[in-house]
Amino acid sequence: MKMNTKVVQFLVPVLSILFSFFIGAILIASIGGNPIEAFQFLFKGAFGTKANIGETIVKATPLIFTGLAATFAYKCGVFNLGAEGQFVMGAVVTIWLSSIQLGLPRIPMLMLSIVAGAVAGGLWGAIPGVLKITRGLNEMIVSIMLNYIAILFMGFLYSGPLREDNLPQTAQVIVKLPRIIAKTRVHVGIVIALVVAFLIYYFMFHTAYGFKLRSVGLNRRAAQVNGFPVKTLMLLSFIVSGAIAGLGGSVELLGTQYRLMAGFGEGFGFDGVAIALIGQLNPIGTLLVAYLFAILRTGATTMQVGTGLPTSVIDIIQALVIVFAVAGSALVNLPKIRQVLANWSAEPKKGQGN
Amino acid sequence: MNKKLLSLLLVFALATTLLAGCAAPATTTAAEATDVANGETTIAADAKAYKVAMILDTTIADGGWGAASYNAMVAAAEATGFETQYTDGIASADFATNLRSYCDLGFDLIITPGNQYSDAVNEVSVDYPDVHFAILNGKIETANVVSMLPNAEQIGYMAGALAGLMTKSNNIGFIGGMELDTTKMKLQSYEAAAKAVNPAVVVASAYAGSFSDSAKGKEIANSMISVNDVDVMFGDASAVDSGAREALAEHEGRYDIGQPADLVKIKPMPVLISSVVTDNASMMKIVMEDVKSGTYGNKTIFGDLANGTLSVGTFSDKVPADVQAKYLEIIEQIKAGTFIQ
Amino acid sequence: MDIFLSLPFLQELLLSTLRMATPILIVALAELYSERAGLVNIGLDGIMAFGALAGFLVSYQTGNPYLGILAGALGGILVNLVYAFGTIQLGAQQIVFGMAINIFAPAIASFIYKMAFGSSSSLAQATLMAAIPIPGLSRIPFIGDVFFNHTPIVYLTFLLVPITYVFFAKTIPGLNYKSVGEYPKAAESSGIHVVMVKYKASIICGALAGIGGAYLTTSYISTYSDGVVSGRGFIALTAVIFGRWMPGGILLAALFFGFTDALQLRFQVMNSKTPYQLLAMIPYISTLFALIFFGIKKAGPASSGKPYFREER
Repeated sequence: MKMNTKVVQFLVPVLSILFSFFIGAILIASIGGNPIEAFQFLFKGAFGTKANIGETIVKATPLIFTGLAATFAYKCGVFNLGAEGQFVMGAVVTIWLSSIQLGLPRIPMLMLSIVAGAVAGGLWGAIPGVLKITRGLNEMIVSIMLNYIAILFMGFLYSGPLREDNLPQTAQVIVKLPRIIAKTRVHVGIVIALVVAFLIYYFMFHTAYGFKLRSVGLNRRAAQVNGFPVKTLMLLSFIVSGAIAGLGGSVELLGTQYRLMAGFGEGFGFDGVAIALIGQLNPIGTLLVAYLFAILRTGATTMQVGTGLPTSVIDIIQALVIVFAVAGSALVNLPKIRQVLANWSAEPKKGQGN
Repeated sequence: MNKKLLSLLLVFALATTLLAGCAAPATTTAAEATDVANGETTIAADAKAYKVAMILDTTIADGGWGAASYNAMVAAAEATGFETQYTDGIASADFATNLRSYCDLGFDLIITPGNQYSDAVNEVSVDYPDVHFAILNGKIETANVVSMLPNAEQIGYMAGALAGLMTKSNNIGFIGGMELDTTKMKLQSYEAAAKAVNPAVVVASAYAGSFSDSAKGKEIANSMISVNDVDVMFGDASAVDSGAREALAEHEGRYDIGQPADLVKIKPMPVLISSVVTDNASMMKIVMEDVKSGTYGNKTIFGDLANGTLSVGTFSDKVPADVQAKYLEIIEQIKAGTFIQ
Repeated sequence: MDIFLSLPFLQELLLSTLRMATPILIVALAELYSERAGLVNIGLDGIMAFGALAGFLVSYQTGNPYLGILAGALGGILVNLVYAFGTIQLGAQQIVFGMAINIFAPAIASFIYKMAFGSSSSLAQATLMAAIPIPGLSRIPFIGDVFFNHTPIVYLTFLLVPITYVFFAKTIPGLNYKSVGEYPKAAESSGIHVVMVKYKASIICGALAGIGGAYLTTSYISTYSDGVVSGRGFIALTAVIFGRWMPGGILLAALFFGFTDALQLRFQVMNSKTPYQLLAMIPYISTLFALIFFGIKKAGPASSGKPYFREER
């Protein structure tokens, strides 16, 4: 549309994020902190040194995977809330492969581990899909149940069969993903994440199948009328979504965490949903929002450490960012606002011509 | 269109921040270093200000392990003149990131209250050889990592012996939070000690799978009372224990043994008969003094009855004098290592 | 295994079932009121956490757990109005907004608790709400103790089930309310103020979920600690869907959760050799199987989860 509309629509998410920081600043000041110093620490934490930039990328990697998992599912109108469980199951199969001592050389072992993680995530993701299609079960509830089961199953493994003698955790994986930037923890997983993101982008927007998938998400009935295989497409999106999350779990395990322990994967699933929706269900948008979230996370750590503010203040600010970003992007889509924007952008240009 | 613009914007944000970031290391590492140094020299005009931090996965307001560890650090820091800071409620994926942040900001010592932080400490301590690390309940010993290890076996013995002496129904209970190594050890020796003083004792145990779900603690205790007729309990699950205590308090003649603070003294409750006190502060004090004197590293500080880290807490009036006397006798045996061979 | 048949065991098991089902039931009803007006609220855990803190604080300060429950309700409403504004006024994504509440509200609760109590080595303890036995009925052997010897909140919660049923099925306001969740446009054209109904729904949802949280810290246990809610909000969300958006169904679902959870805890105490994680899975796995077995043919409110704009297209 008009240039000015573009500018406004482009500004609103930024403004809403800035606004959340403003509220955060008030919050910090109200409990006796120095907001400017706090945000300096935040910036320093995310970008201060090469190692910090690396940390940010490391933190972004799993978020990209779960964000993409949510993007893929929601694009097809499928509400997969089970990315956390799929993420965990991907890691579980990876650690199991590592524990049985296959004796494979490093590279094949890594490939096998990652593929197995994706397959495990895909299978775990297929369960709500199959149940939805055959029994009409709500995928949200099934995937939440499966999250609990996956987490408990992981707990059973690390405190039982795969326990490393003295702690409730597994042994480290026998092969690790190579690090790609010296003096940082950045590993090859980020490359995998980027490749997956671009593949999904290509698939969704440049293939016939992707088009069908999106049309199911836009209007299931219309897609049915058009003769698209709606059920197959939905099942496919469950499986692919699960596989992406499972891949993420596997990569996180092989690249960053190295072993399973209590709290592995916690919160990544829901973060992924938020990231996907703020990223407007666009794989590239998802990528960027995941990076933004990672900046916030690493930055916030340093901010808390540097200022000595209570940890919960950081959580509050992070939630504020989600609230404002979501509210802001929703705001521009309000019919009234749209109209105002349209009028406003129409006036200066066309008004002169008339 | 909206999407395109949004992504454009984000690319822009990404690019600028990356640029800023890339430019930073070359120029600021030096600047930063002087910055930090300046900041420190101003404070350290008369004496170097030592700073200690703690990271926790639980909260410091959990009325249990987290609170006890944090308070121990504060007490030890007051005695040795350290400044303190903490971060709590961290997910395991963020342990390392947090440790690095503290290292970057010039902290001298970082204490991690639990073995679950060992991996993160191992990894980060290599990258920051000048920062000192201490792990409570840990096993690592390197040039800049020290472990502090309260004797879990003795803690279990102490609680078990008292439970065995106090039980009327010959049924005692144990609630664990997670299956930590130390928790399992405590359960095992709790059972052994109770059976040693009272062979008829049967132990019921359960894991809450949480350190915070106090409602579940109450439910577990309730079922132990109704199903197993448990009348003395001991817990190793922080806030979950306080839930269990509430269930016990609703019945006549059912008791709980507290830990790690001297709960009867701090906050007497009819249900609490005594506590197994772990003085983590004294171990942390040793660690802090080592940092100051430059003699840090390559050791484990053991905490047991003999060196006073473990001790018997205040008794409530529910414990008869003859039982107290008998119990203290057993404590001497535990101390001497002659209790259970 | 004789123990399973003994009377005291059964009695305690049923009691425990009721105790554990109560917070889930009341919060599930909260969600029902929200979804019937087309608002899927997955921020229940957060609302509960804040309600738990507000309830505890007031009960601790005043020594009156009833005021605590009231404070829990007010706290819940406060938190849920944030959700309501975002989703109703701005038409924001309900799922994401709910999740933001789940991060936001517990963090505020944790922050306030830490400010108020610091890091004491034992949790602050408030007055626990006393059970009020119902005269006469509570004397019936066995049944009396199981059903008629509880705190008023428990009675209130179970009473809400028939009330909710009658409201939605038999009253005009209830039917109007329901139409907002089904066909908001039709509702609007028949003179119902859709936005107003949605706000009312959010207030009811916030109040009930807040009470559910406050129940935990004033009637169930008398302390607050971070994480005391422990995912009960999500279980309640599940109970709504499991109960097919019907008050009776939700009651059964909540009791089912309470029962399986109570049972698995007892298995654990009796049989400490089995890994607890496998036992803790029982409620979730049995839910899945129950769902697979019964299926859900009836879906929820038609326009649930969709934003509504009056002037829309």
